[in-house]
Amino acid sequence: MTNKFSRRDMLRLAGVSAAAATVASPAILRAQSGYPSRPISVVVPFNTGGYNDRLARAFAPMLQPLLGQPLNIVNRGGAGALLGHTFFMQQPDDGYTICLSSFGPYIPLNILTQNATFTVEDFHMINLPSQDYTLMATSADSDLHSIDDVMERIRNDPASVSIGVQPASADLVNLTILMEAEGISTDDLTLVNYDGGGPARNAAAGGVVDVALVGGQGFLPLAEQIRPLLTFSDEQRDGWEGALITNVLGDDAPFVAGSQRGFGVHSSFVENHPDRYQILLDAIETASKDPANIASLEEQQLATTWYGPETSNRQLRSTAALMEQYLDLLVGD
Amino acid sequence: MIDMNSLAGAVALLTSSFEAWLWLIPGLMIGLFFGAMPGISITMAMAIFLPMTLYMEFLPAIIFLTAIYTAAGFGGSVPAVLMNIPGTTSAVATTFDGYPMARSGRHNEALGVALAASVFGTLVSYALLMFLIAPVSRVVLRLGPLELFAVAVWGMLLIGSLASKSMLRGLLAGVFGVLLGTVGFSSAGFIRGTMDIPWLFDGVPVIPAMMGLLAASQLLGLINTKYLISDEASRSISFRKIISGMRMSFKQPFIIGRGAMIGVLVGSIPGVGSSISNLLSYAETKRNAPDSDTFGTGNPKGVIAAESANSSSEGGAMATMLALGIPGGGATAILLAAFAMNNIVGGPSFIANQMDIVYAIIFANFAQAVLLLIVGLGFVYIAGYVVRVPLRFLIPSVLVVAAFGSYAIEGSAAGPITLVVFSVLGWAMVRYQYPVAATVVGLLLGRMLENELARTFQIGRQSIEGIFNYALTRPGALTIFALMLVSIGASAYAKHRRRKKGKTILAEEE
Amino acid sequence: MASKPGRIVVMWGHLLLLAVIAAVVIYYWMDTRAASMRTVNLLLVQPASIFALFLVLALVPQCFRRVGPDEEEGEKETIGDLARVFTLMAAFIAFALSMQYVGFDVATFSFMVVGLRLCGERNWFLNLGFSAAFTALLIWGYGAIIPFPFPLTVL
Repeated sequence: MTNKFSRRDMLRLAGVSAAAATVASPAILRAQSGYPSRPISVVVPFNTGGYNDRLARAFAPMLQPLLGQPLNIVNRGGAGALLGHTFFMQQPDDGYTICLSSFGPYIPLNILTQNATFTVEDFHMINLPSQDYTLMATSADSDLHSIDDVMERIRNDPASVSIGVQPASADLVNLTILMEAEGISTDDLTLVNYDGGGPARNAAAGGVVDVALVGGQGFLPLAEQIRPLLTFSDEQRDGWEGALITNVLGDDAPFVAGSQRGFGVHSSFVENHPDRYQILLDAIETASKDPANIASLEEQQLATTWYGPETSNRQLRSTAALMEQYLDLLVGD
Repeated sequence: MIDMNSLAGAVALLTSSFEAWLWLIPGLMIGLFFGAMPGISITMAMAIFLPMTLYMEFLPAIIFLTAIYTAAGFGGSVPAVLMNIPGTTSAVATTFDGYPMARSGRHNEALGVALAASVFGTLVSYALLMFLIAPVSRVVLRLGPLELFAVAVWGMLLIGSLASKSMLRGLLAGVFGVLLGTVGFSSAGFIRGTMDIPWLFDGVPVIPAMMGLLAASQLLGLINTKYLISDEASRSISFRKIISGMRMSFKQPFIIGRGAMIGVLVGSIPGVGSSISNLLSYAETKRNAPDSDTFGTGNPKGVIAAESANSSSEGGAMATMLALGIPGGGATAILLAAFAMNNIVGGPSFIANQMDIVYAIIFANFAQAVLLLIVGLGFVYIAGYVVRVPLRFLIPSVLVVAAFGSYAIEGSAAGPITLVVFSVLGWAMVRYQYPVAATVVGLLLGRMLENELARTFQIGRQSIEGIFNYALTRPGALTIFALMLVSIGASAYAKHRRRKKGKTILAEEE
Repeated sequence: MASKPGRIVVMWGHLLLLAVIAAVVIYYWMDTRAASMRTVNLLLVQPASIFALFLVLALVPQCFRRVGPDEEEGEKETIGDLARVFTLMAAFIAFALSMQYVGFDVATFSFMVVGLRLCGERNWFLNLGFSAAFTALLIWGYGAIIPFPFPLTVL
């Protein structure tokens, strides 16, 4: 299995987007192909109430007037999005079923740890507006004041700091990279496993564990109760204080991105129905860039940034490649 | 403790718009209807109506959504009483005595008891909330794995009391449930017992399993019976009897108070909530009741205990959401989203600075609870007609509803498959006098039990000594364990005294 | 029925139930050990499995009952009664497993008709009418609420 996004794909995509800029307006295209002539289903591989579900339900009314058809949200939660992704892949690639998911890291995880029947290449990203990142945080009243405090204590006794983390997660990969740089094996650490980001964050905020490594965006509502120590990104995110991984491990520090959430379609849809794909792409781009929509989504703490297919696909594929490097860690024994 | 300025602010906010209150009744009716449909979760109901509130002002939006939340919590107890179907995990304990009451012709009373206990529980919990919101929020995040393990063990004690006829069979039913409850991904990241079926990765789907064990197994066994209630005269639908059931509830303020307390405390723990609190409240009430032998055969106190706890968990979950900004479950996640749309983000500074909004929410819930009493009365009156339907119509209809409900949870074949497997298992267990309820309790608690134990073990550096040292730093957990022992000891002593007394009375009569 | 004092009756059904429980427990225990032998993985499952198997062993003797010569074997359950339960069970299983393939409408309607007949409704007009009405109501009701597609064939 290769995780490299082939050069040919890239060129083709670049070509499609370039053509988009010059070709006629979406309304005319719609008239030509008749797409969409019936409602579109948006598969969300998570249950109601989560980030992806909220984004789907908030975004659907913004997309409907542009496409001229209603959007139905179909929740297919379970098994770390495996069920939803598999279900989505089984639907016809005619553009009437699209997917809104945390493609990174779940697509690579489904493939690497759950024997999924699809590959990364089967998915084409239209836009991944929500880009999460790992944040190491401790309770606001903790005696650990900086990443240096944490590392010093771990150097003295690796088991002395209890670390909340989800098993088989991007966060665990990031922790391992950080510890490897110090020559410390994760087996010697006191890892406390949580089966969700929320519980791990609560444990950090309540001082149940000394530190936790979890997706940083989810920490925002808890900002007052935690102290951020280390952001696994090369730039400051969401105003968190504390160090960046590039301060600790140098400018070329390797790290895995957190959840990369947004819209995706079948790769074969892009190939077989370029006209329909263009209509969909334009609609999502227009809706994402509309200032009124941006304001409304920001109010709901939902991301809106437009990165476009090229960047989004590259991001997903680089996450997949990095996670494959740490396969042993994810599979466990 | 109560800030008068905020109180005045809350009243001003609530009276600012009369139209906002027009959303209350539709919200309650939607909640009742969705809640009573097996397989439709509160979260699902709220998620469906969330987009509608996008176009509403803050006050009507919140009144509408919280009304759905309040009413859906009660809606689940209607099928639990009438058909032994706990449509949600929070109504499991309601079936224990509610359904036997209905079978013996006291369906009116059972529904009245459930409604009043729910309403009363909600009121008490929100009243508690006014005083407790700050302290509860300080404690809740500090709860570590050992404390939660203690809570799970407390729930497991219920298995013992459900196994009154044969302890061996009760224990086997319970342990089997615990094992089934741990199938799938463990929190430590291992996948067990899935037989490579992808949907089992998340474990056995609990609601379909529970519907199969409790309801479908019963219905299959009823095939040779003509009516749910054998005595024709008892099949009446009577407002008077519903009201008398309500009165029964009000006569047990202590049980309701305890249920509300358990509900608020357990409900405030993220991820635990009403599915555990109703079991704990039932277990405590049964253990301490002088007539504990009649629990499980239609004792209204069992219904009161379960309903007061599951409805008051809502208040607890609301406290965590407002004071910490943390959703305890799907329903509060949706409320949080609705709040965020109006630039209201829960958290310590929110309750410090905007106590008027907190009070407004509490008062709105008082109003909802009171109105639920009226709307709910009409609802249970109509629902009560189920007992008049001959079983030859009811059995296939309810089986079909259970199948639809089990499909509705995930929208896949996983639900119906689980439902039939557990229906057959449940039927066989009932046939050979195994308490299926113990299996349900095990299923509900198994995962929590294992995950919290595993985390305790991990924090204790994977050694007995480490765990022991860790336990010494957790006075909260030790207190819970101590309270548990005291409660068991006290009830054993009381039972012993009663038995002794009973013997003397018998001796005197002779 | 010439039963000697102390004749032993075997409750085959009970024995079968215990065998099924034991088989599931053993499979699950072994599968957990295969997943990982780390303590954190076996912490609960291993002792609980052993305890469950011990309970099964302790319960096996209860599958054998000594019936006295004059003792009634409880209320008699006729073979016919049991057969009807099994038929209904089989119909229910067939319904639940087939509804996604033959369509919810067809499966529900068929099961309703069979179920009503099995449960004792002799009037075919009433049976078909009620089944059709209930099926339509249910599909309309759940269809309006749940956020999932319903495979339908006729409706």
